[in-house]
Amino acid sequence: MQPASSRLIDALRAAAGADAVLWRAGELFVYECDALTHHTGRPAAVVLPRTADEVAACVAACAREGVPFVPRGAGTGLSGGAIAFGGAVVIECARMNRILEIDPVDRVAVVQPGVVNADLSRAAAPFDLHFAPDPSSQQACTLGGNVAENSGGPHTLEYGSTTAHVLAVELVLASGERVRLGSRAGGEPGYDLTGAVVGSEGTFGVVTEVTVRLTPVPEAVETLLAIFPDVVSACHGVGAVIRAGLVPAALEIVDRRTIAAVEASVYAAGLPLDAGAVLIAELDGPAVALPRQVERVRTLCGANGATRVEVARDAAERQRFWRARKGAFGAMGRLAPDLYVHDAVVPRSKLPEVLEAVCAIGDRHGLTLSNVFHAGDGNLHPNISFDRRDEDELRRVLAAGSEILELCVRAGGVISGEHGIGAEKQDFMPLLFTPDDLDAMRRLRAVFDPERRSNPGKIFPTTRFCVESNPKARGYERVSFDP
Amino acid sequence: MLAPTGPEALAEVVRELGARGEAALVRGAGTELPQGNLPRSVAAVLSTKALTGIDVLDADEGVAHVAAGTPVAALREQARSEGLEVPLDPPSPASTLGGALAAAALGPRSLGFGRVREQVLGLEVVLGSGERTRCGGRVVKNVTGYDLAKLYVGSLGTLCVIEHVWLRLRPLPEETRVVAARVSGGEEAPAAALAAARLAGVRAAALIDSSLTAELGGGLPEPSRDGHLLIVEMASDAPVVAQSAAALARRHGGVTVPAGAIDAVAALEGAADDARHRAALRFRVTARPSRLVAAYAVLRAAGALVVTHPGLGLLCARFTCAVDEGAKHVDDAFATAQAAARAGEGSAVLAAAPDFARAGRDVFGTPPASVALMRRLAAELDPKSVLNPGVFVGGI
Repeated sequence: MQPASSRLIDALRAAAGADAVLWRAGELFVYECDALTHHTGRPAAVVLPRTADEVAACVAACAREGVPFVPRGAGTGLSGGAIAFGGAVVIECARMNRILEIDPVDRVAVVQPGVVNADLSRAAAPFDLHFAPDPSSQQACTLGGNVAENSGGPHTLEYGSTTAHVLAVELVLASGERVRLGSRAGGEPGYDLTGAVVGSEGTFGVVTEVTVRLTPVPEAVETLLAIFPDVVSACHGVGAVIRAGLVPAALEIVDRRTIAAVEASVYAAGLPLDAGAVLIAELDGPAVALPRQVERVRTLCGANGATRVEVARDAAERQRFWRARKGAFGAMGRLAPDLYVHDAVVPRSKLPEVLEAVCAIGDRHGLTLSNVFHAGDGNLHPNISFDRRDEDELRRVLAAGSEILELCVRAGGVISGEHGIGAEKQDFMPLLFTPDDLDAMRRLRAVFDPERRSNPGKIFPTTRFCVESNPKARGYERVSFDP
Repeated sequence: MLAPTGPEALAEVVRELGARGEAALVRGAGTELPQGNLPRSVAAVLSTKALTGIDVLDADEGVAHVAAGTPVAALREQARSEGLEVPLDPPSPASTLGGALAAAALGPRSLGFGRVREQVLGLEVVLGSGERTRCGGRVVKNVTGYDLAKLYVGSLGTLCVIEHVWLRLRPLPEETRVVAARVSGGEEAPAAALAAARLAGVRAAALIDSSLTAELGGGLPEPSRDGHLLIVEMASDAPVVAQSAAALARRHGGVTVPAGAIDAVAALEGAADDARHRAALRFRVTARPSRLVAAYAVLRAAGALVVTHPGLGLLCARFTCAVDEGAKHVDDAFATAQAAARAGEGSAVLAAAPDFARAGRDVFGTPPASVALMRRLAAELDPKSVLNPGVFVGGI
């Protein structure tokens, strides 16, 4: 990577202040990747603006210098969406972390993009409201990142992904122009451009303000923990609950290998180590509705092989059940230095056969593969624990990943449910989309960013790779932009 | 009229029109045709009526794959036999699925169902430029590629012709009950209605001005002296319905009425072919929930007949309009609707009106600043303006 030109650094300093620009190698090193650690790309510089005006000035400076840019939130993304390719400038939104307004009557919040997901729910709690999308990284990930990735989470099953909760955005286009899309009251005439921006993975510009819907905190919550002899029977339990017309807030499965990792870690939840899988089912809503729903879920789990079903007696026990789920990724650190968290969706009725096939792929490649996933909406997360310093293992990890995605597509599914395509899956897009389908997406991108300067090198397939020789990174670095 | 019988034939028709430099008016059942601006010159009507059929109704998954010309009512019937319901509420029972999506048609039950955009999992479309493309898919959670479906829903047939839809279905509720109540409180009535709309299990809530209640048919209580009837549909588990019905009885003396009452509310907005409606200007004004009362007051002061959907932040306002009243009357009504929208911090659209009232004006009012992006989008996907030219915002 060429060092950034001093003209670019000066221009960014003029745009956002001298204390807002990072450009020394040591400072840039930490921005080389996001949570998809085996893909890397070093930015030319990192700039931390405080206001939308400063973002616009930074983007304009990049435009003048002919340099691309990458919006970045907390860097918790799992598809490499926040990695800088081609000497891009990272526009890091961490300093834009103010909640501008919470309106309890309208049930709306207006926030800057750097606000942390969980902080918004904490701020809304005095009004009995919360921000419903709850990614596993919610203690760190930001609203701007949630908008970019259309993030989900366990409670997406009942409440929908981020897109269902975004009413309006302010966006700085690659030209430096600021636009407001959508409206707080809803129903603004015109195309739903806000709907297109959510999930566009930072390729349309930098989101500088978000207006979101807040959801009432449910009156009552019941959480069940069902122990199954194996993951396939747990999947059958999930299918039975869905088919029965129940709409739980969350239906999460944790498999045997994950249970072992969790129980050996600080997240230990007291799960039986001989369980083949556990299903966490959460029901919420009016208190009068829940007792019967709890009994129905309990019965359906039993009928599908659950050996034991516990209902959380209090909030502490509920948190203990959830520790098994939410602590899973942290606990995986015990298994190997690196973790590849896959993300794909299949029709829920296909879960049992797909899960079996996913495990067989892991075994065939001699990999440590575990599953912890949003079973209720068919959203798989096969996790492969590995050591990227072992080149052969990395190759097997990537080969298994390809096979898993192909398997899910064959089952009628898609290659991402909540992590995005980013730099990770762009070459798998042709599994699902024809050249004409992809061209329609390119034409949409051209509406917002005709020169492809906002987060280039993501989403769209490109076949030109090279493996970086740097032994410290030893990941993939893409060398070309979109065709 | 062109009525292609399959997706490839549809694409062929669109390409042919483009090659000839001609345009078409895209039509499903025609129930939403009074919407939008009057089209610029079109050579043909392109109907989706021959594109029908429910290819997949997967009850285990709760999804359906349906051809766009299929009437929503037909899908609803088949879904019901599997214990599922179609979470769409277009104003006319005749509406096609494609038409309901293109118009992003709302009804009273959209409160419980959610916005049309949330129900669409995937679309297969023919772009104005002639290519057959798809976006989304059959699964209920998906971030694979740009969410183009959001743009096609509510595009009023510009950009593309919807050909097939992957639609989310939902379980039928255990119990459905409709309650009507007289709501006092004068101009504050929308605030009381908002509180009712936010009760658990409420799927629809509408506040009806007294002058409109006669159109709802029999079996309903008389409106309150200061002029409002609140109609609420609950659809949920039986204990939830009972609890919310009890709350409505306590607060407003609500009584259970025939289930058809909420359909009658929907019909107040629909029935575009009805002579009574042809002589009306119908506006849709949106407002922030906290500003409903203010927006409502503006409309009432000008003599509009209003159905308020508080949970949707939507006021449907009707002004009578005979042909001989002319453009001045239309201008005045439009100005009132826009003043109400300003009071509500929302927007106003002339949602349906006779042709003379739509001629020479943008029924969407002054376009938002983002219209430049919208024009670019239309230019990318329908560069020759083959589909519904002129009907959309800013004359797109």
